Amino acid sequence: MKLLTHNLLSSHVRGVGPRGFPLRLQATEVRINPVEFNPDFVARMIPKVEWAALLEAADTLHLVEVPKEPIEGYEHDEKFLRKMHHVLLEVDVLEGTLQCPESGRLFPISRGIPNMLLSDEETET
Amino acid sequence: MKALRQYRMPPRNQLLPVLETCGPVDALLMPPNKPYSFVSYKTAEESKKAYVTLNGKEIVDDLGQKIILYFNFVEKAQWKELGLQALPPGLMVVEEIISSEDEKMLLESINWTEDTGNQNVQKSLKHRRVKHFGYEFHYENNNVDRGKPLPGGLPDICDSILEKWLKEGHIKHKPDQLTVNQYEPGHGIPAHIDTHSAFEDEIVSLSLGSEVVMDFKHPDGITVPVMLPRRSLLVMTGESRYLWTHGITPRKFDTVQASKGHKSGIITSDVGDLTLSKRGIRTSFTFRKVRQTPCNCSYPLVCDSQMKATPPSFPESEREASQLEQEYVHRVYEEIAGHFSSTRHTPWPHVVEFLKALPRGSLVADVGCGNGKYLGINKELYMIGCDWSQSLVDICRERHFQAFVCDALAVPIRGGACDACVSIAVIHHFATAERRVAALQELVRLLRPGGKALVYVWAMEQEYNKKKSKYLRENRMSQGKEEEVSSDMPGPELLVEQVPDTGHKEPACRMPSVSDFQEGGRNSREVTNSKLPVHTNRTSFHSQDVLVPWHLKGNPGKDKPAEPFGPGGSHDPSPVFHRFYHVFREGELEAACQTLSNVRVLRSYYDQGNWCVILEKV
Repeated sequence: MKLLTHNLLSSHVRGVGPRGFPLRLQATEVRINPVEFNPDFVARMIPKVEWAALLEAADTLHLVEVPKEPIEGYEHDEKFLRKMHHVLLEVDVLEGTLQCPESGRLFPISRGIPNMLLSDEETET
Repeated sequence: MKALRQYRMPPRNQLLPVLETCGPVDALLMPPNKPYSFVSYKTAEESKKAYVTLNGKEIVDDLGQKIILYFNFVEKAQWKELGLQALPPGLMVVEEIISSEDEKMLLESINWTEDTGNQNVQKSLKHRRVKHFGYEFHYENNNVDRGKPLPGGLPDICDSILEKWLKEGHIKHKPDQLTVNQYEPGHGIPAHIDTHSAFEDEIVSLSLGSEVVMDFKHPDGITVPVMLPRRSLLVMTGESRYLWTHGITPRKFDTVQASKGHKSGIITSDVGDLTLSKRGIRTSFTFRKVRQTPCNCSYPLVCDSQMKATPPSFPESEREASQLEQEYVHRVYEEIAGHFSSTRHTPWPHVVEFLKALPRGSLVADVGCGNGKYLGINKELYMIGCDWSQSLVDICRERHFQAFVCDALAVPIRGGACDACVSIAVIHHFATAERRVAALQELVRLLRPGGKALVYVWAMEQEYNKKKSKYLRENRMSQGKEEEVSSDMPGPELLVEQVPDTGHKEPACRMPSVSDFQEGGRNSREVTNSKLPVHTNRTSFHSQDVLVPWHLKGNPGKDKPAEPFGPGGSHDPSPVFHRFYHVFREGELEAACQTLSNVRVLRSYYDQGNWCVILEKV
């Protein structure tokens, strides 16, 4: 699971609504997967990122030097884009958990795949 | 401990006496196909003696070849524990049940050239030869035709043998059906359970001409290989007859217990005692008694009589819908994932078109992504896939795509995060109209304002504008191919409204209106009985809510030629899974989209047997 993916995931436990974001990340196995750098692509991702959630996740994984926010003119700042490229696309969480901040419900990440299925009781009206 | 290094090992029965000249051999480990073995003696002195006297010794094997033995000391060898596994319950092997004379007589009594005119067809290299007596066994439905017994009954020579077995207590009932199978080396029979409704409990099989190893497998996955010696009788009753599958792997050699020789029993995993045995031509006489009443065994889940009694019906509640989907969608995809993925390799052009037209850097969700077919189409997008099936998501992961497991009715992506969504051949798996609309609602929730979604669902109208869809067209060529074989469940016994193939745009029945969806109406199903019919693949749909068979093949990707037909036939009972579908009528998908308040339908079209919609979130 890449951090850009994590940035999109939100808990859907009944009743939590928008308070289900962001999912608290805990990782026991992380891998760095080199991905070809495409500055244009990264630049287009930046406005879609929920920055606070990204910082929190990066912090949990002890990633250094994640910019606190997109800087002015980031589209042409290669250094910035390369940093973001690494954080968003190259860090891969293989094993760990995602926790709903509102309900505490844990979702496992196994072999890089989060399992977000809820039980029948959790989905029943 | 010593190792013998050799390019070719002499057979055990030749090696052992040589080794024993230095003292009793504690154990001789001969891993199959390896040019080395391990021998251990009880004392170090004996080992030393063997090294001194036998190192460099030349022996001549049974083929007249010279073999030189080289010895080395080793520290340790690993010996597998002799796992004493019991035979499957109800299973028995009676050795030397007939004499060699009777064996010869039985073998000679079978006239293989009788029925088919062409002898060349008989000697099919690929399949075993089969002959039936008493009742014909039909491989299309794995059952007998009770009403049409074969003239002549069982061969006369079998009478005395069967009487003897009855008297000696080896069998309890007199059989009235006989199937003779002839297996050449390399032939086998796929794992199966003999149809419950066809035959009574006791099934016995006599092995002639050659021994063979038969594999018994329990639903939990345990496999027990059992040696069936020549002239032995295999008796299957109870659990071994009703629950365990049995089969013979198509190969020319079996791995057997060297120490046991040709005795019956389980082949254990003791590597020290295994050796290869070349198969000969084996002929089996399998005697069974045909059932005249439905089966009432204690294994209902694998019993066709008892499963037939409770077929799935149209769901009456949300809970029933969820359970139906669990059984007839989720469980099935988990089982068939590998095979399914191998048949889903060609992306549909219009879907590709949609994805390629999206702006660079779009965030796209593929809800119900399956094997990830579309996740890598456009490298300029960030696509994430999700599916209920862990097995299918695993395949996405193997292909290095981002994917997770979830329910399409509750996609754990924050609202408004996606620039686009696709949901290809997914929504038709939901069992009620409300759930289908709810799935569409989820897709729209994921979109940002102005975002677009592409939805594909299977159409009821498989022939549109006078053109047959690919699904129907492939009927001509695909004899014997998967997904083509007609369902082996009985045809629908209920009244179903026949929908004529629409060659024109006007559907024969009324257009579903918005109010139908709001009621959660049953307008889509106009049947008097609520049982779900089983669809025959590659034919037109006669009902919107159907179970569609999937024939699981074990070797996905292997091109199987059409099976030869004929009196011998071939017994290939691949498991059949039924998947639930609600096929959509023209306009139905569009109408469903229009029930959503924040949506505009941009395009609505028909593509190769599917109804498709492109919608935009306003």
